Amino acid sequence: MTLKKASLFLAVCLLILAATGIIIYTFPSQMGKADLTPPETVFNQEKGNNSIVKPCSNEHPEWRPSQVIDDVLINAAPDCSPDNPYEVATSVKGTNNVSMATLMQTDFAQDAITMGEDLDNDGDPDVIHIKLEVVELNGSSPDGDYIINSFDIAPGIQPGLWVYAPKSRGMAVKNFNSLVSNPLLRAPSPSIRVEQGDKVYITLENTHYLPHTIHLHGVDHPWVNSKGEDNDGMEEHSVFPGQSHTYEIQPRHVGTMLYHCHVQTAQHFMMGLGGMFIIEENQPNNWVQTFNIGAGQVRHPAKAVIKNYNQEYDLHYQSIDKKLAHIIQEANDPRLIAERMARDYNITESFENYFLLNGHSFPYTIRDAMIITSENEDIKLHVANFQRSSIALHIHGHKATTVALDGVDQPEALQITRDVIDIATAQRNDIHLKTRNDGLHSYGPGLWMFHDHVPTGTTTDGMEPGGNMAIMAYKELLDDQGMPKMHDHLFNEVFNKDYYAKKQAIWAEGSYAKLLGDAGLLIPKHIYIILFGLAVGLLLGLLLVGVLIIKRNLKS
Amino acid sequence: MKNCLTGIIFIYCVNFAFAMNHSGMLMNEKGMIMNSNTDKIPKDCTTISETIDVTIRAGHQYALKFPGKMYAFDTQEINVKPCAKLNITFINDDQIRHQLMIHGLPGYLYSEGMFHLELNGAGQLEASVIFPSQKKTYLMHCELPQHMEKGMKSQIKVDGGDGDLPSIPGISFPIKADYYKIDWSQLTIAIIALSILLGIAIVLIVVNYAAKISAMGDKILSNIKPKS
Ligand SMILES: [Cu+2]
Ligand SMILES: [Cu+2]
Repeated sequence: MTLKKASLFLAVCLLILAATGIIIYTFPSQMGKADLTPPETVFNQEKGNNSIVKPCSNEHPEWRPSQVIDDVLINAAPDCSPDNPYEVATSVKGTNNVSMATLMQTDFAQDAITMGEDLDNDGDPDVIHIKLEVVELNGSSPDGDYIINSFDIAPGIQPGLWVYAPKSRGMAVKNFNSLVSNPLLRAPSPSIRVEQGDKVYITLENTHYLPHTIHLHGVDHPWVNSKGEDNDGMEEHSVFPGQSHTYEIQPRHVGTMLYHCHVQTAQHFMMGLGGMFIIEENQPNNWVQTFNIGAGQVRHPAKAVIKNYNQEYDLHYQSIDKKLAHIIQEANDPRLIAERMARDYNITESFENYFLLNGHSFPYTIRDAMIITSENEDIKLHVANFQRSSIALHIHGHKATTVALDGVDQPEALQITRDVIDIATAQRNDIHLKTRNDGLHSYGPGLWMFHDHVPTGTTTDGMEPGGNMAIMAYKELLDDQGMPKMHDHLFNEVFNKDYYAKKQAIWAEGSYAKLLGDAGLLIPKHIYIILFGLAVGLLLGLLLVGVLIIKRNLKS
Repeated sequence: MKNCLTGIIFIYCVNFAFAMNHSGMLMNEKGMIMNSNTDKIPKDCTTISETIDVTIRAGHQYALKFPGKMYAFDTQEINVKPCAKLNITFINDDQIRHQLMIHGLPGYLYSEGMFHLELNGAGQLEASVIFPSQKKTYLMHCELPQHMEKGMKSQIKVDGGDGDLPSIPGISFPIKADYYKIDWSQLTIAIIALSILLGIAIVLIVVNYAAKISAMGDKILSNIKPKS
């Protein structure tokens, strides 16, 4: 080997070494260190873009005051989105007893609630026929990339949901050009109220494309109906699409119970097929409000409730796994949906991502899931947990008393007053909330937040504030649209689809915008990139030449 | 819907259980009829060109012949002449609610441009609709959540229509199609491998016999040329 050859070999070796060193040093990466001055703050929040949602659309201010419709007294509901009083009147008198003019102001079918004979001659009907349909919200369509019968649980958040809905009529969307569900079709499945001793016929008309049932959890019901058919709503007696089945009960025991689907229970329960079923004490002339659409305030409380309480609310807590909810939005073929939900999806490897109170997550809970009160009121809360996980209900500024558990009255000595009330899945607590400013039951007027204190519960897919947060509002602190005063700043931020899409900085506001906005991107170091490219090219070139030389040597 | 609540309806709804009017809305325990039209001729027509009696049945059983659907009508397409009158007998064979809605009709004859039949459960309704002369395809569907999406969607073509609507079962493709698993069996893979080998073989053969093939080509060409 000549000296010349040896030095050439050495030079090549050094070149390879140097190139490798350069490659390692300049290897491009996704993240990098800033120079002396880090990138400027950028502002992702556009002014006046269409992601902003009006906090209160104030569609029906005339529905708020106390009023009498078809001789039914309907209590005032000062919140932003009060329940339709015509729906309340129809729920109290039945679709067969209410005037046609009133029925036309609702979306009920004419046979949704039929009230018959007064069996015990005490002035109220005791034979009640209720018809329920199964409705898919935020479902998919083969006709385009959109979601139909949409129902936003929070700004821009539309998880697929199934709910029981009173049998309705006409357009299921607001109008032919809209994809938004009509107001009767919403989460949660409505609370149902009947009177103790009523003969109740509940017909499930399965308008959905998968089988379902109704299981009357905790409600006094015989195992079979008068025809000798299933009356317990079990999986083996599924009601298939296009079919109907009638469950028959005559409950002897009062209390807050449940109804839910018992087909593929883990999935169907989590999809939203469950609601409260409340049996009210038998009283003379006691016309109970059969449906409380969207749960929340009961605008026509039963006789026994009025005796002891100023107000009554149903609080329906529910959680959603976004992966499960998405299955019905990914395909249209019922066979694909059935396979993906029943077999591909594994609930033991799932999470809860959305937390709803009365079908909404904060800030939409402010529209229709607040508790609104004055001082010195007694309020009855029916709290039911339809989540997969337990809830730890906490009402700021108050200590409330649990008076009944799972529909059974607690003896006086066991009525516990506390500020965190734990409720496991499917359990119900009837709570007596007092607004007496005595330093124990209430600390005085305020816009007191109430929420599940399990940390996940106050988030929407991890975004805080969200989840089932709501406000217990003292009337004087609400504006004329029922929105809490002194919250403009927060509402400006969270009534925005971009906020829950995680597109905007949390504290980019006012003088802090520059300090806590989003950090801009780093400018890539172009010299490094060029050096990297040159080094890689050099190595590849050497490799190619080497291969050619070896080949030539082998030939000769 | 809300607009129909005012005006017309109140007049008819007073005796709704008995009233059978030829326009507006009729509602009872069985269901409802909105904007049935037996005699009002559209502006662009002079007379009714033809009268067709048609029975349309609705139910999950009619989806049986369309894989991947759950609800359907028994008829997916109806063809009529301009200015035709359809006497529809709508039969629901399910135990649940179904609708028959026709959209895009002239608003001066049909409020909200809509003809709407609804049966609260198994049953039958009769109503009529008169179409204008325009060449157009009308959507006929059930609007219960997920019923149209799951197959209860048909079309009515006046004068041959102006095309097909998407996702009519058995007639037209969806816009947003479902994805199904492909059956990748060992056989499929073997076929692909064989095809690749065959392709390589063809190239090799072509290269190997290049001279012979070109000679053969010349021969064929020379045979053809004299004839022309
Ligand atoms: Cu179910
Ligand atoms: Cu239908």
